Amino acid sequence: MDPVFLAELAINGALTGLLYSLFAIGLVLIYKASSVPNLAQGGLTMVGAYVVLALARDVGMPLWLAIPIAVAIMFGLGFGIERVALRRLAGRPVVMILMITLGLDIFLRGTTLAVWGGTSRSMELGVSYEPLFLGDILVSRIHLVGAFVAVMFFAAFLLFFRTRLGIKLRAIADDYMASWSVGISVERGIGLSWGLASVVAVSAGVIWGEIQGVDQALSLLLLKGLTVAVLGGLDSILGAIVAGIILGVVENVGADFLDPLVGGGSRELIVAAVLILTIMIRPHGLFGRHDIERV
Amino acid sequence: MKLLSTVTTVAFTTMLALGATEVSAQDKEPVRFGLCFDLSKSYTFISPQVAQAAQDLAKYVNSNGGLEGHPVEAVVRDHGNEPQRGVECYEQLKREGIFIFNFLSTPVTNAVLPRVMKDGNILMQSFVGRGDAVDGDVFKWVFPVGPTYWQQAANDVAFIKGQMDGDLSKAKIGFIYLDYPFGQEPIEILKTLAEKEGFQLELYPVPLPGSDQSGAWSKIRRDKPDYAISWLLAGGHVVAAKEMRRNGFPIDRYLSVNWLNEVDINNIGAADAKGILRGTNVAGGQEVPIVKTMLETYYAKGEGSGPESLVRDVYYNTGMAIYSVGFEAARLAIKQNGWPLTPESMKTAYESISDFDGNGLMAPVTVTASDHGGGGKTRVEQWNGETWVPLTDWSADYTDVVWEIIKESSAKFTVK
Repeated sequence: MDPVFLAELAINGALTGLLYSLFAIGLVLIYKASSVPNLAQGGLTMVGAYVVLALARDVGMPLWLAIPIAVAIMFGLGFGIERVALRRLAGRPVVMILMITLGLDIFLRGTTLAVWGGTSRSMELGVSYEPLFLGDILVSRIHLVGAFVAVMFFAAFLLFFRTRLGIKLRAIADDYMASWSVGISVERGIGLSWGLASVVAVSAGVIWGEIQGVDQALSLLLLKGLTVAVLGGLDSILGAIVAGIILGVVENVGADFLDPLVGGGSRELIVAAVLILTIMIRPHGLFGRHDIERV
Repeated sequence: MKLLSTVTTVAFTTMLALGATEVSAQDKEPVRFGLCFDLSKSYTFISPQVAQAAQDLAKYVNSNGGLEGHPVEAVVRDHGNEPQRGVECYEQLKREGIFIFNFLSTPVTNAVLPRVMKDGNILMQSFVGRGDAVDGDVFKWVFPVGPTYWQQAANDVAFIKGQMDGDLSKAKIGFIYLDYPFGQEPIEILKTLAEKEGFQLELYPVPLPGSDQSGAWSKIRRDKPDYAISWLLAGGHVVAAKEMRRNGFPIDRYLSVNWLNEVDINNIGAADAKGILRGTNVAGGQEVPIVKTMLETYYAKGEGSGPESLVRDVYYNTGMAIYSVGFEAARLAIKQNGWPLTPESMKTAYESISDFDGNGLMAPVTVTASDHGGGGKTRVEQWNGETWVPLTDWSADYTDVVWEIIKESSAKFTVK
């Protein structure tokens, strides 16, 4: 294969992978606080994008204003979900909480369909789609922007987990019983993690909404996001970044080799294989804690 | 015979003469059409427009004397694209006496089709379901009036051949498609035609839901096909347009399947979409007489069956086309065999439709006992930045090749 083309596939795969990472960071935040993979993260991402568009199109706000307001709204929604739906499940088996996140995802998808319909809407961030060549390699500007946002979130959360509040969240993630006993509000901590995950969902929704349009398909990002989170280690934000890059490259390059052999459709196979093999061989992922359970 | 002109002329004249046709039409038993559609899940980008068109057309026909004096009723139900719910919808409406159905969903249609065949009811199946159902010798009760995806793809190749001075031997044609049955369906016919015409066919599969196309377009940039035939849907076209721009592929070499509507154009950007091509069997826009009539008669007074925005969408025209044919068949059936309307009389009437184009709404269709598709004519239109401009006349090409595939496939069908 032409090495330039291979490099192009790898670089664009890495950029796409970082967009998966952006999504996966939301999953990791909730897992770190409550030890549950949030199956509603796809729904939250979709809702985040719809809220931005509702503010921008229906209310008439400029996007630069609609996005921060949507962030505030979604933070409140995330916090509210913990307060209304999850708090009463404290102490229940993990599978019960997992099921409620699944129910929440279905609820969010149904609600957006009822409110905004099934027609795709465009985000129109204003990012140019003119060709951008780095040497002989064509790269996508919107993917570059998204990758930058993902790295910024990574850096921000690295710093956040060194603050007093962040350390409380880490304590909750380590041992919520012990955290309770020393007076840390575990409920508020989990609520905060849901709020932050919803904020991440807005950014992922905006970037992915720009790339593929805003419709129900945004919720399908869950499969790839979950694969990235599992591969990276469900409680590791660094893992989400590294795993995103790995999955993106493997998917993009691998599909180019495999598609002609199997007649197409190999991307989904690659993602599924990565997910299954990770759980079978290294359930705690690349950077996750070794005590991660198999749910 | 044209539905619009016939109904308008006959009914209007009669109303003027007698002054009581409308009243008597409403007194007679209705002709009922069952519309079991996906109004809540996968097909919501088209189902509401088609349902609205059917209801508007029914209202218009009724206000002009009905079908040979009988009012039309469009009974709309939601099946959520779930085959079991589709079957339930069929059984429920069947119990209510309805025997003309449309499910507007491939999985649901495929699930219901054997029952319809066994029961001897009428299945309207335009644009969805199995392509070989146009074979009326096998699928006696199924009427997929309009082009199959096989015929559409063949017509696309014929268009490209015309653009390349009638010689495809040095041409390279790319086929970018959603990598599931809808997108894969034209591959065999394209391979057959590649062999016949000597062009090079390159396949570019795109995983569902069509949002990840970067790898496919990187390859297209390198392969440099002369044209890219596209079997994508909705947002997939929007992503493709962005990728074309990014990869320097001319958008006027992108020839889409019929599923490309005004919403997609808006999402691409009307100016950015300038030059994009679409193969279709339905005339787009609001200048089509029947669509214009609906806007003036109902929507100008706020009396439409739904939001006006849905009328300004080619899928509304598609719905008009589907039900213009359906209503015309019912009208002919009553005219030929009187009341009550039966599946048998409806079938015979469908098979007698000749050169019907809904007054410029669609490609002329001639349905026969053998060809329930009506001939499979399409044309290629181009977006000029403001509207769709036809580039060709309605035509069906390579019909011998297409029918060979149809016959091969339909021969395997049996009803147990």
